Amino acid sequence: MSIFIQLLLNGLLLGGAYAIVSIGLTLIFGVVRVVNFAHGEFLMIGMYAVWLLAQHFGLHPYVSALLVALLLFVLGASMQRFIIQPLLSADPHIQVFATIGVSTALLNLALMVFGADVRKADVVFGTESLMVGPLTLVSGQLITFVVALVVAAGMHLFLQRTYTGRAFRALAQNRMAAALMGVNVNSTYVLAFGIGAGLVGLASGLLAVQYPVFPTVGQYFVLTAFVIVVLGGMGSLPGAVIGSLFIGLIDSLAGFYIGPDLKEVVYFLIFLAILIVRPTGLFGLGRGSE
Amino acid sequence: MLPNFNNPRVYVSLLSLLILLALPLAVQSPFVYHLAIQVCVFAGLAAAWNIVGGFAGQLSLGHAVFYGIGSYTAGLLVAKFGISPWIGMFVGAALSMVAATIIAYPTLRLRGPFFSLATIAFLEVARLLVIYMGSWTGGSAGLNVPLQIGLPWMIFREKSAYLFVAFGFLVVTLWVSWLVRHSRFGFYLIAVREREDAARAVGVNAVRVKIAAAVISAALTSFIGSFHAMYLTFVEPSAAFSLEMSIQIAMFALIGGLGTVAGPVIGTVMVLPVAELARGWLSAFGNGTHGFVYGMLLVVTVLFIPRGLVGHLGKSAQRLIDRLPSRRTDVKTNTTLAQKTSPARHQGKPVLKAEGLYKRFGGLQATNDVSITLHAGEILGVIGPNGAGKTTVFNQLSGFIRPDQGTVSVLTEDGQWITPTSPETFARAGVGRTFQVVQPFAGLSVMENIMLGAFMHTSDKAQAKAIAIEVAEITDLTTLLDTEARGLTVGGMKRLEVARALATRPRVLLLDEVLAGLNPSDVVRAIEMIRRIRDAGVSVLMIEHLMQATMALSDRIIVIHLGRVLKEGQPADVVNDPEVIQAYLGKGYVHAQAA
Repeated sequence: MSIFIQLLLNGLLLGGAYAIVSIGLTLIFGVVRVVNFAHGEFLMIGMYAVWLLAQHFGLHPYVSALLVALLLFVLGASMQRFIIQPLLSADPHIQVFATIGVSTALLNLALMVFGADVRKADVVFGTESLMVGPLTLVSGQLITFVVALVVAAGMHLFLQRTYTGRAFRALAQNRMAAALMGVNVNSTYVLAFGIGAGLVGLASGLLAVQYPVFPTVGQYFVLTAFVIVVLGGMGSLPGAVIGSLFIGLIDSLAGFYIGPDLKEVVYFLIFLAILIVRPTGLFGLGRGSE
Repeated sequence: MLPNFNNPRVYVSLLSLLILLALPLAVQSPFVYHLAIQVCVFAGLAAAWNIVGGFAGQLSLGHAVFYGIGSYTAGLLVAKFGISPWIGMFVGAALSMVAATIIAYPTLRLRGPFFSLATIAFLEVARLLVIYMGSWTGGSAGLNVPLQIGLPWMIFREKSAYLFVAFGFLVVTLWVSWLVRHSRFGFYLIAVREREDAARAVGVNAVRVKIAAAVISAALTSFIGSFHAMYLTFVEPSAAFSLEMSIQIAMFALIGGLGTVAGPVIGTVMVLPVAELARGWLSAFGNGTHGFVYGMLLVVTVLFIPRGLVGHLGKSAQRLIDRLPSRRTDVKTNTTLAQKTSPARHQGKPVLKAEGLYKRFGGLQATNDVSITLHAGEILGVIGPNGAGKTTVFNQLSGFIRPDQGTVSVLTEDGQWITPTSPETFARAGVGRTFQVVQPFAGLSVMENIMLGAFMHTSDKAQAKAIAIEVAEITDLTTLLDTEARGLTVGGMKRLEVARALATRPRVLLLDEVLAGLNPSDVVRAIEMIRRIRDAGVSVLMIEHLMQATMALSDRIIVIHLGRVLKEGQPADVVNDPEVIQAYLGKGYVHAQAA
């Protein structure tokens, strides 16, 4: 029984890590309606930046997370402005190719600059094991989990309560109508993409405490994040959080009861089922996949 | 089945293709051989991918699945059972075709990025399963192909032998791609890609067409996968089922030009050697150089030449090539259009019957017990105020909406009553339709648009062309046959809608507001056109807003209001009916008139 509870706890905490990555992705996916295949590479760049800051200036990843969030905001905003924006009225498959191109270029750039070695910021705070009765957990996992929930709640309020948030939601529903209501489409998209990427910057600070960084680290997270975003519904923050916890639990339970080799098969099959049966996801914000 | 070798475009392409064979044989360097073999393999993969990704417009990013199935099947059959890869590759292709059907069927209705994501998910699942079944696939460590040298084992000592085989696979793939592009099937793929609804209205079974494309593409990809496994003599899951390779294949096709036969080859020839050379020259900078080149090229391509090299430069290259000598033997096509719209044999008898149609959308009863009968050789006008439910009725008459209750039956050529259920079966039963919001295949010429309709009854291109020319006459489009459909005026587009429907040789033609939004002179032309169509023996049912025109054209009028049939009768009777006036103009108007 205590194994089962430990597995549940592990699953939820892993879900927290997935959530912090998925929040930004769902925002970009939902609002700009672009599948950002480079999202994982944003995370990778963020984690390298965190590692460099820790290595050379001794900054703790939790501190540098804010700096890196700013850096990635700029990166995301420029990607929207200079690559996606000119392609807004092009076929969706052209946009897919564009983000894939950025993803491939960034990944290989990291390979050229840093090599394939696995690196990890050397920190103490955030890696201590905590014992709660018979259960063990790592403090950083808990911190990531809490921050993910707080950020998701904050973003949700932002989307619901502010004018900019409403503009985001309006664009998600119908770009043309939103433009006619006076929403500046281009600058709002740049902002949304920037915020989405900035949230990944935050994620990279949190994750760098637990996970090492290497050029393909982003791909490891981003495929899962896509599963989560489609599951929860494009652009839905509660959906992303619930989807993350769900996938985290599946990861942990299927990994133990079905076998570690097959856990990913399980959630990719769930992903396909959702895509086919309910393409708008469980809590979709706007239009679905049809 | 074969291109015309006297056409300069054909012989120039084939001669350029031969360079791929001649150059390495002349240079005799192992590196150039390897490069040429890789180019053949990847150009073949890109050309096969292009059948789904280009012609059908479904952006698959999991195409390595079929490459992997081909590699593993051929490899395992050699390793475990000593079966020659020449046989194994057919087993692999058969498995890939089954896999393609399984993947394509549920994912077809997904569009754009969602389809791509689904194909990636299938790729991941396949890779993980191959690793999981390690006891006979070799797991993540991979599988070594036994080194039995000789033609039966597709493994050679000489690199040149590999090159000949690889070149052979490329030629076969290109030949299939050429066949697809220049057949009715190819037209259908493009039609479905551009506008699925309009394609279904001319009798195209969209699902079947897309699955067929996926299956053909999968088989070709699988063949090349089998060969490549023998060339590399090693297969591993991370390379055979890799997302990276799937992306590369799609990228080569994009850079060359999606949806063209030559594009994927040109893209591969331009990019692959450059990236391979970069890998060699810049290796001092570490791994990833060629990947970085690929990524940058992809971004530059989508930003500056999204239609690829062929899409942007193809036209001028063609003009140059066309100056070369040709012995073009014009094939005479004597088409006897005996089958064309039969004159109304059953003049005045019913040809289309709708009985007791009901349709509800949520709280709205859009169609409420509507029965309509269309007689042979008549023009029936359906009018009604905005929101009366005319278009809903219309969509039920053409199979785009299934009624909740009631039936629509059609009289076939041989006098049988049948009840079709889908747009394509309606079209095949002889019911043609147009769309209120015009649905031209914008990138195709007017001629090709009309041919798409004609393909319903013939698979022969020449005959389809002849029908298109004849239909263009009736619809006043003869002078515009070579223009791209996107360049037409509103009036032209509306007539093109009619022409496309007419080319399916319908006995019943449903016209959805073809007069709306036209200028007065176009209205006059359209009215004359509709009369000509009726005189050719087609029964016409038209929905229209324009009162005067409808009154002038129709033999009979049905008024629909609030989802019901309000009135049916001669134009003169209907227009003076107080109920009708009230429905259009409100109660006050009736009183005002009386006063």
